[in-house]
Amino acid sequence: MTSRRRRIDPRTAQLAADFVLWAGTAVTLAVLVFIIGFVLRRGLPYVDWAFLTEAPRESGKAGGIFPMIVGTLEVTALAVLLATPLGLGTAIFLAEYTRGGPLMRVIHFGTESLAGVPSIIFGLFGFVFFVITLGFGWSVLSGGLTLAFMILPTVIRTSEEAIKAVPASYREVALSLGASKWESVVKVVLPSAIPGIVTGIILSVGRAMEETAVVIFTAGSSLSQAAPRSLFDGTRTLAVHVYLLAREGISTEKAFATASVLILAILVINSTAYTIMNRFIRRYR
Amino acid sequence: MTQALAAVDARPDRAPSSPPPARKPKLEIRALTVSYLGGPPVVRGVSLTVPSNSIYAFIGPAGSGKTSILRTVNLLSIDLDGARVEGDVRLDGMDLLAPGVDRARIRRKVPMVFATPQPLPRSIYENLAFGPRLAGVKDRARLDELVEKSLTAAQLWDEVKDRLRHSALTLSGGQQQRLCIARAIALEPEVVLLDEPCSGLDPISTLKIEEAMHSLQDRYTWVIVTNNTKQAARVSERTAFFLMGELVEDGPTDRLFTAPRDARTGDYIEGRFG
Repeated sequence: MTSRRRRIDPRTAQLAADFVLWAGTAVTLAVLVFIIGFVLRRGLPYVDWAFLTEAPRESGKAGGIFPMIVGTLEVTALAVLLATPLGLGTAIFLAEYTRGGPLMRVIHFGTESLAGVPSIIFGLFGFVFFVITLGFGWSVLSGGLTLAFMILPTVIRTSEEAIKAVPASYREVALSLGASKWESVVKVVLPSAIPGIVTGIILSVGRAMEETAVVIFTAGSSLSQAAPRSLFDGTRTLAVHVYLLAREGISTEKAFATASVLILAILVINSTAYTIMNRFIRRYR
Repeated sequence: MTQALAAVDARPDRAPSSPPPARKPKLEIRALTVSYLGGPPVVRGVSLTVPSNSIYAFIGPAGSGKTSILRTVNLLSIDLDGARVEGDVRLDGMDLLAPGVDRARIRRKVPMVFATPQPLPRSIYENLAFGPRLAGVKDRARLDELVEKSLTAAQLWDEVKDRLRHSALTLSGGQQQRLCIARAIALEPEVVLLDEPCSGLDPISTLKIEEAMHSLQDRYTWVIVTNNTKQAARVSERTAFFLMGELVEDGPTDRLFTAPRDARTGDYIEGRFG
């Protein structure tokens, strides 16, 4: 007898695949909800108006986190404002102005390597270069600059993919109707690529806000009573505050409360960005 | 001979013996050769003249270089396909291939309509206003007027006048292609290049596009690439037949279809090819 491999009935295979995929999704979602729920359940009861608006007391055992909220927003905003134009410009150049030559490969290799560098290395670099060599000190400026370098690869790659996904015919049409190359990029390609670009920026905002290693080295961790007033003031971000509260055993409640605020802030920023974007692109559909 | 006479009877307005109406040349192509990335030329030494206010058809099998010529007149082949171009292309005597010409300005004079309808992902109105806005038209009333005029010319106005703010992507294929023709007309061009504009369309949409071309002949010159020889015979005054990048023959459509000078032309027209 010739031995034929027994074939699995396609309907059985389909059922199995459905189950595995569904179960995978469910487990992922469950883990996510569990982690967020766990943090919020332990932290939210301690979050109140005073916690959000007051300065910390007794090394953070009492009082609030107002200076950290402001510091986090400043450092993140600076990083995103620096990385977005730089990253988007690089992405436009890569996607529209190079035709797969050696220059493009070098830049790709560079950005990919940059994306793989551990954040602690960025922190070390920022400390030596911005804090010491350029003399910016532990400051919002040093932190923002270093974070900008850290999120740059993400901005470049997501923007580049989004721009490349715009159908070539759009560019053809724009040119054929008398647009210059730049006009076709600005008026046709970028509006179509906006959703992908915004997604990249949102991912970057999240990464910048939750980063600790880079910020400890470059923005410092001093527990100041007031929010940073200038780019040269040091600050302690929310993520660093969580880390120090927990590690120094200062206050578990305050650590979870701060973590809750951080998570909610990221959620609010992300959903706001998506809402604005959807309103914007609906005009083009 | 009898066949030719029959054609004359059928089209009494045009006798093949009399010289073609003396219209000044609109588009002159001289010894045009186009190649891509060091490959063999796909267009070899083509010379032809498109008289103004005529409908000129390019026919020939796939790979005969028709589209490459069209894309070179529009200069897209140079900017997008990396084509190497030799020879001369003149619009009203102006050298289009001269170094330093403003290509965007030339494309406004010779816009192109592609084989598959290519509406931009925006409203019908914005599709129409796209070209004029780039050309510097800002006045709202003037834009409104251009939009209505162009849509009317492309026989689309009645179908879309109540939904100019809707997305152009909601239109049917035939409507989208007429939108693209209207979009080209909105530039107030000299020559409109059509690259197999009806290849994916139903007969009624095709008819509407052909009617639009006829009714606008007094205002524009049309060059249409078509794989449909019947369409060339229906719409054009002059036809050029291409094979393997070379111009086999061109002439008044009546004459080319009834008494081709080259045997290959006759074979192609009658479908005895390849």
